[in-house]
Amino acid sequence: MTDLKPDIAFKKEIEAISGASLSTCMQCGTCSVVCNVSPEDQPFPRKEMVYAGWGMRDRLIGNPDVWLCHQCGDCSSHCPRGVNPADVLAATRLQTYKRYATPRFMGRLLSNPKLLPLAILLPVLIIAGIIYLAGTLSIPAGPVNYSNFFPHAWLNSSFFLITVASYGIAAVGISRFWKDLHRFEFNNTVKRGFFASFWKVKNDILAHSRFSKCEKNRGRKVAHFLVFYGFVLLLLVTLYAIYAAVTDLYPLALMNPFKILGNISSLMLFSGLGIMIWNRLAKMEGSERSSYADWLFLTAILLLTASGVVIEAARFLNWSAAYYLYFFHLVCVWFVIIYLPYTKFGHVIYRTVAMTYAMSADRK
Amino acid sequence: MNVDKQPGIYICGGCRIGDNIDTDALNASLTGQLQPAFCKTHGALCSAEGTRLLAETIENCGPDKLVIAACGKGTRDDAFEIDGIQTERVNLRELVAWAMEPGEDAQAAAEDYIRMGVAGLKQSAVPEPYLLENSSTEILVVGGGVAGMQAALDGAASGYVVHLVEKADELGGWAAQWKSQIPFDGSSRTLQAPIAVKMADRIREETEIRVHTRSTIDRIEGEPGAFSIQLAGKKNEQITAGAIVTATGWRPYRPERKSLYGLGEVPGVVTSVDFEAEQHNKAGQPLESILFLQCAGSRDQEHLPYCSSVCCGVSLKQARYARERHPDAIVYIVYKDIRTPGFVEDFYNEVQDDPGIVFIKGEVTSVAPDENRVGVRIQDKLLGEELSVHVDKVVLATGMVPNDTRDLKLGYRLGEGIPELKYDFSDSHFICFPYETRRTGIFAAGGIRAPQDIPSAMADGSGAMMKAIQMVESVKRGEAVHPRSGDQSYPQLYMERCTDCKRCTEECPFGTYDETGSGTPVVNPNRCRRCGICMGSCPERVISFADYSINRVAEMIKAVQVPDEFEEKPRVLVFVCENDALPALEGAVRNGLKINPFVRVIPVRCLGSVNRVWVSDALSKGYDGILQIGCKPGDDYQCHFIHGSELTGQRSEIYEETLSSMMLEPERISTEYVEITDFSDIIDHIDNYMEEVDLMGPNPFKDM
Repeated sequence: MTDLKPDIAFKKEIEAISGASLSTCMQCGTCSVVCNVSPEDQPFPRKEMVYAGWGMRDRLIGNPDVWLCHQCGDCSSHCPRGVNPADVLAATRLQTYKRYATPRFMGRLLSNPKLLPLAILLPVLIIAGIIYLAGTLSIPAGPVNYSNFFPHAWLNSSFFLITVASYGIAAVGISRFWKDLHRFEFNNTVKRGFFASFWKVKNDILAHSRFSKCEKNRGRKVAHFLVFYGFVLLLLVTLYAIYAAVTDLYPLALMNPFKILGNISSLMLFSGLGIMIWNRLAKMEGSERSSYADWLFLTAILLLTASGVVIEAARFLNWSAAYYLYFFHLVCVWFVIIYLPYTKFGHVIYRTVAMTYAMSADRK
Repeated sequence: MNVDKQPGIYICGGCRIGDNIDTDALNASLTGQLQPAFCKTHGALCSAEGTRLLAETIENCGPDKLVIAACGKGTRDDAFEIDGIQTERVNLRELVAWAMEPGEDAQAAAEDYIRMGVAGLKQSAVPEPYLLENSSTEILVVGGGVAGMQAALDGAASGYVVHLVEKADELGGWAAQWKSQIPFDGSSRTLQAPIAVKMADRIREETEIRVHTRSTIDRIEGEPGAFSIQLAGKKNEQITAGAIVTATGWRPYRPERKSLYGLGEVPGVVTSVDFEAEQHNKAGQPLESILFLQCAGSRDQEHLPYCSSVCCGVSLKQARYARERHPDAIVYIVYKDIRTPGFVEDFYNEVQDDPGIVFIKGEVTSVAPDENRVGVRIQDKLLGEELSVHVDKVVLATGMVPNDTRDLKLGYRLGEGIPELKYDFSDSHFICFPYETRRTGIFAAGGIRAPQDIPSAMADGSGAMMKAIQMVESVKRGEAVHPRSGDQSYPQLYMERCTDCKRCTEECPFGTYDETGSGTPVVNPNRCRRCGICMGSCPERVISFADYSINRVAEMIKAVQVPDEFEEKPRVLVFVCENDALPALEGAVRNGLKINPFVRVIPVRCLGSVNRVWVSDALSKGYDGILQIGCKPGDDYQCHFIHGSELTGQRSEIYEETLSSMMLEPERISTEYVEITDFSDIIDHIDNYMEEVDLMGPNPFKDM
């Protein structure tokens, strides 16, 4: 017996974000049939459309199936009623970041366009504060050397600590998410342990094998692949840069292999982001519409990448505006890295966790 | 009628008739046997030359009756209808020339058919129409709802005086009591003011509509053209009308003995009609949660098996009331299928966009009080789960049931009301004869006829009024209405022989006969549809029509030359209903099928008009069997006169009695039913019966 208590506010939010009229769904099941990603047993998104229509928030938030969806849009393009199941699941994922955001305030801060100035002001003040504490807030004279402005020891340690603190607090929310996933049981016989499941899921992520099943939006795989591996390379380069800063190899020369690797990764990011943005601009209307969260995420990464390249040039060309641009770049880094659990970038964590849970229940 | 004067005969050889039948030999043989006024042949009688010759011959020979042996009635009628001449069409083309291989048997069949035509025609008179002295063209409309009001408006607009009788204080009916109505025409998606109110205003401006509110019917007597109506109410007026439109409407279903989802038992459970009134009067507090249950007692063999077609739209409308009155209200709509025909689908789409309305496809399994609320359990069909919800109110979308037709208080021998077709709705056939009830001159419109929405009820009002106008105009000319439109014959009773057995009064599907106090039948000719079922029912052969009588068919039966048993050529008489079976037989032949040459076909107005004397006449004459072919009876009957073909089955006892008194096998008479398109079936029925007759052997009455 299910005590039905429709959460109409939640239903309204899903309808507002997805643009779908949920009651229009006639439960034909075409969406589940055409989806290549959905498991055969208890497939999505048909049942999720009922949950959404009835405002059954607890059946959607923390539902692993919502994260198996890779937003191919095959369901939406075949939907005879134009209800856009893909967008309904996407809207549900955005609601998930907000729901598990710890502290709560961060979820609201990053989902409400009106709070954007505050979301920007916060890193500006904190970074400026740390630079002040490091000893200087004035623009250094002479050739551009960013460590003169913001000593690397201060930079690396403060960002490291803040990131760890941010993720540590966010982990409380994510552990709630992990627990909630267990409310969903499937008719599976095979059970896997957490690590065995994670190891299998890792392969899927690295190979982008779920993206490969998309029929309609094949470009999604390429774009995501470029951005994903662009970030992976940048992570490697960043680790080397920290090593360089610690061992006084800094600043790196233009032809340093790691510098070259860094520039390649920024090219990958640019091209991947280019495809993503192009696709979204081409679909401003109808299904697969883009929300504030989508644009915030894409804009932040684009500005992060662009400002990174610009400050690199500014250093070699000794631009006078270099330090301002550097400051701007740091705000972008904050936005992407430290806000990660509360923005769409959080999918890195939530999707991995949900896919791991699904794999543990042999749900593929 | 001059019986001694012989009819003329014209035989056509066109349309390949002449290829298969020797028309000259036919001419010679018939001239010798019958001494007709003339007997002539022509190669193409319907050609310009043929019709000219026909006219000349008639001019010269002066017969008043003419047998045209060519094609059947319905083909080239224009060429063969001659003023002042009574004609009989013998269908040599479909029944002989195209139906049989050329030769001796076909020739014999052609001769028999022409002889039958002559014999029948000699017994047939030109009908004198039944004309009333003062035929009324005023029309009574009973019921002032949308159907009745539309009927009245259309009647007045067509130039007829209409009496509109309404039992309530005001016109408008149910539809005027609604808070709003659903947009039906697709021009708008917002709820609209009830159209019934505007219609009532328009009626007040019409001088030709006499409105009788606060009035009911005390008694209706008479017949089309002369209905006498006694009103009860304000003034106890007496009205005369030529035809009646009954639009007495419907009421919401409310089972008397069975339980329906806690209606009347659990507080907070109401019907849509109750809820509409509450909302219209803004009664009670705004509700936080409300559940609408669709098909409550509809599409359910325990209650109403049908769909009333409006309830889904009504609940969608009322869901909107609830949401407008309380913006945070949660509305559940539990449904089997949402049915929103036509433009109501637009409104449905509009309502779907409201997130506060939750649609659940499923069935309610229990409704019980739950503190101050109502607890409802639902077996959901989409997730397959059992759901429980708690609501302030449950609204049952119950269906429409027709009001009692006995409100018409008909002073008829067969009862005060109108016989119902299905589920107590008044009509005689939803497809073939819409609006026509089984009481001639009384036409049904609106909720009394079928469950329906406002636009359909209005269309019904128009349709029924057009039928009523057709009725009063036909009566003025002494003609029947559909399906024998234009027929001027009517039942004439030879009362000296009547034994007051009441068969005619009981078997007439249309209540044509009333009775005197002593039980003697009294015919009301304008109530008659001219099927002849009464003629078939009468054991004393009292009833006849000018051109359709016991004698007419009896003479046709006798006109056939039945071969003696040593010739090994059987004869089987086939009575076919002229409405569907005859066209089916002709259609079969036109499509290349053959008719057994040993059968002789006699078309009848309705199988119900076959009198048992014809059966005994035929069998004593030596026919080897009788096959009757009529329209399909039963719940989905196709009989043009409701139960004529069914009566044939019920009369089998009488036939058995006749056969056993003649010491004959009961299989000497058989009955089959066909549809108008059953071409191969009708031929199969004949062929199978011929085999059966073969097995029985010849009729022992042959040559006696």
